[in-house]
Amino acid sequence: MKLLVISQSRNRAGKPIQAKKEINADWVRVGRAANSEIHLPDPRIALNQGIIVNRDGPVYTEGEAGSMSTTRKAVRSFRLRPGQFVDVGPYKLTAIETPEGYDGAFTVEMMRPPETVASDFSTRATTLSLAQLHIPKRWAAILFFLAVGIAFFLLPAGRVLDLPWKQASASTTVVGDRIWNPGPVMLAHQPIEMKCESCHQVAFQQVRDRACLECHSKIGQHVGPEFKPVALFDGARCATCHKDHKGVKSTHRDDDLMCVACHKDVRAKANGAQAQNVSDFTRDHPAFRLSIPSVNGIKRVRMGSGVIEEKSNLIFPHDVHLNPKGIRSPTKERVVLDCGNCHAPDASKRTFEPIRMMKNCQECHALEFEPAVTTRQVPHGKPAEAVTVVNEFYANLSLNGVKDSFEKAFGVPGEGLLRRVGQPSEAERQVALALASKKAKQVSEELFEIRVCKTCHELVRTGEGDAKEWNVLEVRANNAWMPSARFDHKSHLSSKCADCHNVAKSAKSSDVAMPTIESCRDCHGGSRPVEKKVTSNCLMCHGFHEAKHPWDPDFKPHDKAHVALESRVAH
Amino acid sequence: MKHVSIFEYASFRWFKAAVVLSVVAGTVYLWHDPPLKPYGGTWLGYTLGTIGALLILWLLWFGIRKRRYASNVGTVQGWLSAHVYLGTSLLVIATLHTGFELGWNVHTLAYVLMVITILSGFYGVFVYSRVPETMTSNLGEDTIESILLKIADIDREAREKALSLPDQILTIVNRSIDGSRLGGSFWRILSGRDPTCPTAAAVEQLPELAKRLTGDVSKLNHEVYTLLLQKNELLQRVRRQMRLKATLDLWLYVHVPVSIALLAALTAHVISVFIYW
Repeated sequence: MKLLVISQSRNRAGKPIQAKKEINADWVRVGRAANSEIHLPDPRIALNQGIIVNRDGPVYTEGEAGSMSTTRKAVRSFRLRPGQFVDVGPYKLTAIETPEGYDGAFTVEMMRPPETVASDFSTRATTLSLAQLHIPKRWAAILFFLAVGIAFFLLPAGRVLDLPWKQASASTTVVGDRIWNPGPVMLAHQPIEMKCESCHQVAFQQVRDRACLECHSKIGQHVGPEFKPVALFDGARCATCHKDHKGVKSTHRDDDLMCVACHKDVRAKANGAQAQNVSDFTRDHPAFRLSIPSVNGIKRVRMGSGVIEEKSNLIFPHDVHLNPKGIRSPTKERVVLDCGNCHAPDASKRTFEPIRMMKNCQECHALEFEPAVTTRQVPHGKPAEAVTVVNEFYANLSLNGVKDSFEKAFGVPGEGLLRRVGQPSEAERQVALALASKKAKQVSEELFEIRVCKTCHELVRTGEGDAKEWNVLEVRANNAWMPSARFDHKSHLSSKCADCHNVAKSAKSSDVAMPTIESCRDCHGGSRPVEKKVTSNCLMCHGFHEAKHPWDPDFKPHDKAHVALESRVAH
Repeated sequence: MKHVSIFEYASFRWFKAAVVLSVVAGTVYLWHDPPLKPYGGTWLGYTLGTIGALLILWLLWFGIRKRRYASNVGTVQGWLSAHVYLGTSLLVIATLHTGFELGWNVHTLAYVLMVITILSGFYGVFVYSRVPETMTSNLGEDTIESILLKIADIDREAREKALSLPDQILTIVNRSIDGSRLGGSFWRILSGRDPTCPTAAAVEQLPELAKRLTGDVSKLNHEVYTLLLQKNELLQRVRRQMRLKATLDLWLYVHVPVSIALLAALTAHVISVFIYW
């Protein structure tokens, strides 16, 4: 097929100009695509708008077969006879008389140039993207940056960095440095939680020990100065172990890791350490040591190596007192005693009140010396006073005693000297006093050595005959067998006393009824949880700080910084 | 040359790097035995914090690198691939750095801003992997400009033809020509809808009004109706295109400003932590 295509346009002066083009092809493409034979460079034209084929003369076809779209026009075909035209977008394709030697001829003319068709519609379609809306991305970023920087850094930093607005940032709750608080402090520290400066005293410096000592001035080192604790613990700060802002419960870890780090081989760390190695309560813990009072002070004796005896100078058989059939009492036939009759918890409920003669024993063990005549008792505690009371009693009885008492006490007929008729003679007086003195000596000896004191006490007698004197050996009943252990009887109320203290068969006061580590292990496991055991770490029973070795003996609290007190005053 | 997406860039180089970084951090975190509980102040916490802070600064640098057309430091495609993958691993690094300790404070603010930035980035990756294809097929051979010209053409033709139609029809056709608009407001751009569009109204109303028409008038009306249908379809395509383009753009309005706010919060976090060491 050979076609003549005449492109008609106008020059700048408005005069029509024509460009002729001869096309020789089987089919002729019409469109915006550069390879189109009839090239129509206008955005409103599709790349391949249409096609002209030869079917006994040129036929123009465009559109897509089967298209449902309204813009993709259905197929339309025009047979282009001379004089006929077809609108191709803004162009007009007109068939003209076919010159000789051609199969067809067309003029192509732009009818509606884009400039002139730009209607006011385009003014209503200028803002088609977010960018054209001028939403400020960069300014928003800068604004956000400043807002965050000011609200969360510059304002809160006012006080600590001594910036001009420090007053405001110290006084208001909104812009203060509490927004920097990384997490809740432990309960005991909550009164000062909002006063960062109580602990964080100097900016850009780690919390110093003196901040802690302001309140914890009594805190002690782990070991005494002989072990050089500062060097031993490598100059550790309080905060090395105590991390606050990690929850309300604690500031230190609750397992044995830090203890065991040294105590698994404690002498390698501190030569001369008294403690034995330990790594876990269940698997690797030495037997307990008991603190036992002796003449030379407290001695610590480790259990498990032979029988440990307490030398309390007291005679007390637990078995007699705890006889399940009961024990004789002065008022009733027999009473059955249990531990609680004598051992009363102290105010803390952690341990027990010391046993006192007057409170715990005297109800049964009365100190009566002449029960046939009187219920009077000798005073407890001072042997010489007891002897004096006995002497005075019988002297008085020999002088003033009524007949009945006189005879019962002295075992001879008569009555008090002063009750007899007439003035007593010197000889009668001597007889009466001798009688009283002899009786007093006899009763005293009986009182100390046979009937009363001897029941419970170890005694020493000095002198012979009229010069006899008795002394009771100092009682050293132990009330704190493991004074450093954090043992709390109240937490063990669900157990029976005898579960740990087996005294029912104990006939001697020298028996020690303290539980061994094995009986603790019946319930307590190590630091790793085990079924049916109470998980027990070192700190359950042991403390770390020893109050008797002050952390910093030279530390002087700075009253102003004593925030806890300050807040107490404020309220 | 075969197209390689940012995901598979350089045989997944940055994916592998991100996985290694995350797995190493996670393993060390599990192995680590902190003095009380995991937090940012242990040696591992400081390490993860340093890595995280450097990552954030490097990720922010992407905004500058992508504009440096002359730069030869890697390709922008490689940078974007690394930006996406290492940004994802930052989520792991920073979360482990927190030790899962969150609260109402500047530290958590920095974390939250970081999470928002990363999540918006995920969304960005998602839309950029889906939307451009839809946009291309939506426009076909057209451009927005050519569609606007076509609409103008249709308007002109419809105005001429509608002159010979009854007043009621002429009115709604003119309303379509004078009142139709594209975009112009945030919601119209973002939703891709214009419920008050007079062209859509005209398309809906015309069949009812045309029922009584007969003969040539009916035929002319049909032509006008076809034009309106075409115009409505073109309008909807442009609106769809606007919506798709806005989808591509919008997340960056979160991603970029929040990341810059993160820079401020990160600075406040780091400095405040060491002021109150």
